[in-house]
Amino acid sequence: MNKLHFKVGLFAAASLLLAGAFVVYLLHARGFFEDTFHLQLAASSADGVAPGVPIVFSGIEIGRVTALGLNDDGGIVIHAEFLGRNAKWLKQDSTFTLDKPLVGGARIRVDSPDLGAPALPDHSTMLLLTSDISKEIPLLVERVKAILANVEHLTRKDGEINATLANVKTVTGRMTGEYGVLEGVLGSPEKARAVTDSLDKTRALIGKLDSLALKVDGMAGKTDQWLFAPDGVAEHTRESLAQVRLMLNDAQSSLKQADALMTNAVAISANLKDGTQDIARLRAEIDDAVRKANALVNEINRKWPFARDPEVKLP
Amino acid sequence: MARVAPDLPLRANLSALDNIALIPLYQRHYSAAESNRQAEQLLAQLGHADIAPLRDPDMTPAQRFIAKLARALILGRPRLVIDRPGAMLYDVPYPDFIRQLAAQQEMAGTWEIYDFSWNQALYNQALHPE
Amino acid sequence: MNFLAASIESLGAKVAGWFSVGYGMFAFLAQAGSLLLERATWNRATFDVVVKQVYFTAVQILHVFLGYALVISWLIISIILSTARDFGLTEFASEMTIRVLVLELLPFLTALFIALRSGSAINTEVALMQVNNELDALAHCKVPPMQFEFLPRLIGGVISVVTLASLAGLLALLMGYLAIYGMNTAGFAPFTQTIAKIFDFKIMAGLLAKCALFGLAVTLIPVTAGLETPKKLFMVPVSVLRGMMRVFFAIVAIEVVSLALKYV
Repeated sequence: MNKLHFKVGLFAAASLLLAGAFVVYLLHARGFFEDTFHLQLAASSADGVAPGVPIVFSGIEIGRVTALGLNDDGGIVIHAEFLGRNAKWLKQDSTFTLDKPLVGGARIRVDSPDLGAPALPDHSTMLLLTSDISKEIPLLVERVKAILANVEHLTRKDGEINATLANVKTVTGRMTGEYGVLEGVLGSPEKARAVTDSLDKTRALIGKLDSLALKVDGMAGKTDQWLFAPDGVAEHTRESLAQVRLMLNDAQSSLKQADALMTNAVAISANLKDGTQDIARLRAEIDDAVRKANALVNEINRKWPFARDPEVKLP
Repeated sequence: MARVAPDLPLRANLSALDNIALIPLYQRHYSAAESNRQAEQLLAQLGHADIAPLRDPDMTPAQRFIAKLARALILGRPRLVIDRPGAMLYDVPYPDFIRQLAAQQEMAGTWEIYDFSWNQALYNQALHPE
Repeated sequence: MNFLAASIESLGAKVAGWFSVGYGMFAFLAQAGSLLLERATWNRATFDVVVKQVYFTAVQILHVFLGYALVISWLIISIILSTARDFGLTEFASEMTIRVLVLELLPFLTALFIALRSGSAINTEVALMQVNNELDALAHCKVPPMQFEFLPRLIGGVISVVTLASLAGLLALLMGYLAIYGMNTAGFAPFTQTIAKIFDFKIMAGLLAKCALFGLAVTLIPVTAGLETPKKLFMVPVSVLRGMMRVFFAIVAIEVVSLALKYV
């Protein structure tokens, strides 16, 4: 009986001790023992901000939004609270940015470029900036345009590729050789493989562009759901998407053209020595175009992270 | 009135001592040590101090009867009724057994035995040995 | 027509039965609660029985229980972490583990554990006491069975479930920390932040209330089911069966209600 009492006593004491320690830890975690640091953020729109939205510094949550309100001028004032120990990350030159990722809730990002700057006083008011992914689309469109211009330049009617291929065509017109002749023409099996390699690359790229175009199509319908921006922005976004799509189609057709010509070239490849030089250059150019277009595709994929494609990294 | 009866069993998962000590503990709010002391004393008086740690299933009928009797006695009521002792003490000549217990000590109050009339002969024998 | 009337009648009998069971349970609970307020209940003897009950319900199985909590926590944490990594949601993993394990799964499993081990034992014992007339004997000796037998069981059950669930929860927190941040103190600040985010006063009070209700369910229901047993030995298994079914339904109901209150 005595031993039983001892065991129960030990159990009770240990449990109470642990529970007490946990409660103290919890109070510490919730900032019961420290001062609270208050901050007001002025914003033009409270879209996506609600009490409880975290404020993160370098990806770590340091505070939360406690309340939203309007000031006398109709502007939005967001009240936020920080624990005393986290207030040191807030400097006078800190910027506050509202992040609305396409996956997950909104968050307010704090960037303090100079940690040596004077600290922000309690109850100060800062400006809240908005970084909306939909606003980056016009920039992206510019880049798409530039790259596609490059591709187009390579494959234009009177361009180098076409000229080269025309050249090849004429010389091969006289040719009656079979497919196997290609090796003989080019001088070595390596060169022959190089040509077929670039063909394969072109085809893969076209496939990619195809699927991307489909994706953009599907997205355009959903724009309204994921872009909660005001009308102007949404409209603009939709236009941008349509633009991107047009350009992708363009790129696709250009590359298809190149593909067709290449196929042709291989099928009837000439046994003339001059052709070899031209084909080597053609290969270099196509490789370059493929690389550029590939980069473009990746860029677009990165910007539209909500695609179902499992390879895509979420931001 | 306190009863010792077959239909009032001991608490099966308590020892004889605990069964008896329960009563001062709960009715008179003695401490556990004091209650145990009273129960031990009573068992010793009845000559069966050795059954204190036993539980109901481990006792012989006579030991079980002693435990029940002690539990009834510690209630301290003026009348003690022993109901059908034959059902509880089936392996001893019980009229003798009870008479010895009753005679063993200065008992307060009266003991009454209720039994079937056909067992009358047993009592006669115990009261008049010859 | 006859068939319809008969089925309606049987339904009515069932509903009436449920009501009487529920009424009996709550009446018993009310009686126990009112006894708690009386000074006479708070004596050394009741305390001793509570201690004994806590020993048998919690201390005796502590090592087994903690081992089992360890294994379950480790498994669940690994599953959540690896899934979260696959989907790139690592930042939500620690919160998810704590919510799933500490707030929901571990209290529930603790209640089931205690119900299976102690609840069934209590049910059997009370049923046997009822069948063997031991309760009548206690009543004859003017030892109140409520204070001597039942109330300590209820208190012991509540204490045991609350304590075991908290211990298992603390263990799971520790395991979660180790699994996410490893054997160093680097993750302490973000982990503290997560804990501060999850455990506000409402959640803590809710968790405590839920564990206490679990503790009450796994002891009160077996006791009342045992007391309902007719005085026939062969009815004891039936009584245990019924009691355990009710305990199971009660545990699930408490869990569902708590989830609904928290997330709906």
